[in-house]
Amino acid sequence: MSSERGIVATGLYVPRQRLSGDEIQAAWGTSAPVDQAAVPTADEDTLTMSVAAGRKALANADLDAAAVSHLAVATTTPPLEEEEFAPRIGAALGTSSELTTETATQSTAAGAEALLSGADADGTALVIVADAPDGDPAEAGQRLGAGAAAFVFDEGGDAKVIDSAQRSRDAPGIRFREGGSHSVTGLDITTYERQMIRELVSAAVEGLSIDHEAVDAVSLYQPTGGLPHRIARSLPYGGGAVGSGIVVDDIGDAGAATTAIGLLAALAASEPGSLTVVGFFGSGASAVALAFESPAELDVDLDAALAGGEQISYAEALRERGTIGSAEVAGGGAHVSLPSWQRTLPQRYRLEAGRCPECGAVAFPPEGACPDCHERVTFETESLARTGEIVAVTVIGQGGAPPEFVELQRRDGPFAVAIVEVETTGERDGTARFPVQLTDCDPEDVSVGDEVAGRFRRIYSVEGVTRYGLKFVPEQR
Amino acid sequence: MTDAYVIGAGQSDFGSFPGESYRSLFADAFDETLESVDGDFATAEIDEAFLGTLGVGGRQLGLSGPAVTEHLGLHGIPTTRVENACAASGYALRQAVMAVKSGMVDVALAGGYEIMTDMSGDHTKWWLGVSGETEWERLSGTTFAGVYAQMASAYLREYDATVEDLSRVAVKNHGNGAQNPHAQLGFECTLEDAMNAPDVAAPLNLYHCCPTTDGASAVLVANEAVAKEFSDEPVRVAGAGAASGRVGLFQRDSLTGIPASETAAERAYEDAGISPDDLDFAEVHDCFAIAELAAYEDLGFCDRGEAARLLREGETDPDGRLPVNTSGGLKSKGHPIGATGTGQVVEAYSQLRGEAHVQVDDPEVGLTHNVGGSGGGVTVHVFERVDGGEL
Repeated sequence: MSSERGIVATGLYVPRQRLSGDEIQAAWGTSAPVDQAAVPTADEDTLTMSVAAGRKALANADLDAAAVSHLAVATTTPPLEEEEFAPRIGAALGTSSELTTETATQSTAAGAEALLSGADADGTALVIVADAPDGDPAEAGQRLGAGAAAFVFDEGGDAKVIDSAQRSRDAPGIRFREGGSHSVTGLDITTYERQMIRELVSAAVEGLSIDHEAVDAVSLYQPTGGLPHRIARSLPYGGGAVGSGIVVDDIGDAGAATTAIGLLAALAASEPGSLTVVGFFGSGASAVALAFESPAELDVDLDAALAGGEQISYAEALRERGTIGSAEVAGGGAHVSLPSWQRTLPQRYRLEAGRCPECGAVAFPPEGACPDCHERVTFETESLARTGEIVAVTVIGQGGAPPEFVELQRRDGPFAVAIVEVETTGERDGTARFPVQLTDCDPEDVSVGDEVAGRFRRIYSVEGVTRYGLKFVPEQR
Repeated sequence: MTDAYVIGAGQSDFGSFPGESYRSLFADAFDETLESVDGDFATAEIDEAFLGTLGVGGRQLGLSGPAVTEHLGLHGIPTTRVENACAASGYALRQAVMAVKSGMVDVALAGGYEIMTDMSGDHTKWWLGVSGETEWERLSGTTFAGVYAQMASAYLREYDATVEDLSRVAVKNHGNGAQNPHAQLGFECTLEDAMNAPDVAAPLNLYHCCPTTDGASAVLVANEAVAKEFSDEPVRVAGAGAASGRVGLFQRDSLTGIPASETAAERAYEDAGISPDDLDFAEVHDCFAIAELAAYEDLGFCDRGEAARLLREGETDPDGRLPVNTSGGLKSKGHPIGATGTGQVVEAYSQLRGEAHVQVDDPEVGLTHNVGGSGGGVTVHVFERVDGGEL
């Protein structure tokens, strides 16, 4: 492990919608296992959340995505059971094709694997831990949430991994998902579970060759807010240090991501010069502990993502998650072949436009004759801002969506579609317009003249393939 | 070069007829067309046919034109199916006029047909969006009403117009359509009705949108010699203009008008040697209320931003300076996509022969305006009364 490498910057993304413990309690008549849980919007998944967190981390590091040479991602809920999803994260961020990727999955300890991969890599590495587990609404579903944490590792980074330790043991039944199932479950043998988790995680943490007295803050495996304190009983850490890394009551049990987001909180709480420890647990079971040393204060943008949010009702949460409201539409949707879609990814992911070499007009998408002088030209590449202004907008009411958007609408409700005008980002002036769907907003609340910003989201699915691209969100007025 | 004349025009009832087919509805339109010819016209006189349809629902996607003419017993005549979305039969008429004027044929049949109301809700949604720009516009999740609604949002922002002005289009056109026995929604509505309807795509509500419709229409276009032989009061096709535009609204410079309408109108006026001031009536493409407002401006009936004033001051009412959509328009009469363009000609033919249900006072010149999609293809035709014995 290179001692010069460390975390340069971090990014956190938590879906906007929150389901409060009160709503869960009212729905089931039992006390809620978490104070609140983040609920992904119907057009979000671990891929889109990864991109959101990754973009924030790169922005905080003031780095262009092309500078990233290694991408390590971790999740227990990739959008597909088989198919790489790191390359698509890279494409959405705009990384180079020489990028090396690594994906860790199948366990809530996957985040540790990705962090170690980023810490060990050469060059600039982006590590993303994202998760959005699903479960029986009456059981695990009561506590499950979502979120994503991203870390940029590079030479000269502030928070260095100074040691890591792993312990494993054959211990089934604690947390698992059967083949073909979306539902995380467990046998709920309380004492057995707590004992396994406590013993394994504390053994891994104790295995770190560090000065435990210097540890300021800790993030421990946290399916609920109480468990980290139980784990810490056999560790030399105070309640304050353990509490500083608990985020599960803000975002719910976000699978592999909770402990990683807890690490962000712990890093934020650590004084310069102190140590921060993270203890991952993966059922099956293994535990991985990492110790970080931060000579300087790490700027972690925590509050904006953790606080905020919009409270939704229990019924809305079931719809957004697709527990109810999923739909098969007869007759299919608009047919745009996969290769034709693929050709437009630079536009759909990154708004790559064209500049007419003859008349200087901006073309989006950059194909066919110039929209202004109508000459058949080869466009020069031009980049567009991801923020712009609505110049025309309407609301597609519930029941009115085209077939390919029926399920989205059933789950997320009426949506606005707008024509957005954005400016070029280069030295030469220019504007382009394109149609977009708005998300994460009350569609009735949007009007011509509003400022909006791009977000990478699921657009629609056809023939089993989900197509991603940019949607837009109104900016805070 | 001969002029082209309309010597007959007719339509089926427009409405919801799940028991009919596109062939049987076209037969109704064809029969009415033949009845409208003054002289003893035999179908053997028809040399060629141009028939417009989008082909909603798929059905006979290939070769539906020949399927129709063979069904009518027009055995063996060359038939071309024309597809330009909602402007399909406007373009079919253009083809017929070109064929006659070129001298290649003496009589051409132009027409259109569409069956839209016999499908499941899912299939209807699929088909109603196929004329928008597919790769970007459609896949932003918008519907056809949505695109015109976007246009309305920009228009209401830019000019001194309100949702109430959109509703005035419905009130006027329903008032006219209530007199038209072929109309699908042949009832009057109040401004209150048209203001309080549920939203389809804000700011457009149900009364700002035309219905989906089954129907057919047909027009017989003849050269001067045939017109003289079979018609006492033929209607001269005085001007024909057409233009294309980018298919997606976002791709065009104007969000508040349809540039191809403006160009097509300029060409038609030039061809006819007239200006908009010479018009006595117009049938414009009011698929959505905003489209009628935009048409007033694109077709030169008024300056930019003045369309609402025309409506408010009653200038486009049947007794106004320039009556618009005396047939009821697409809003009240109905909009069987491929049949709309030649359906508008049925009204122009009736008006110029003094036979309309809502008759304009002694009209000499009228116009039809047919828009495909949100403005990807437009035809404008100018028709002129030919007084008895003038030919």
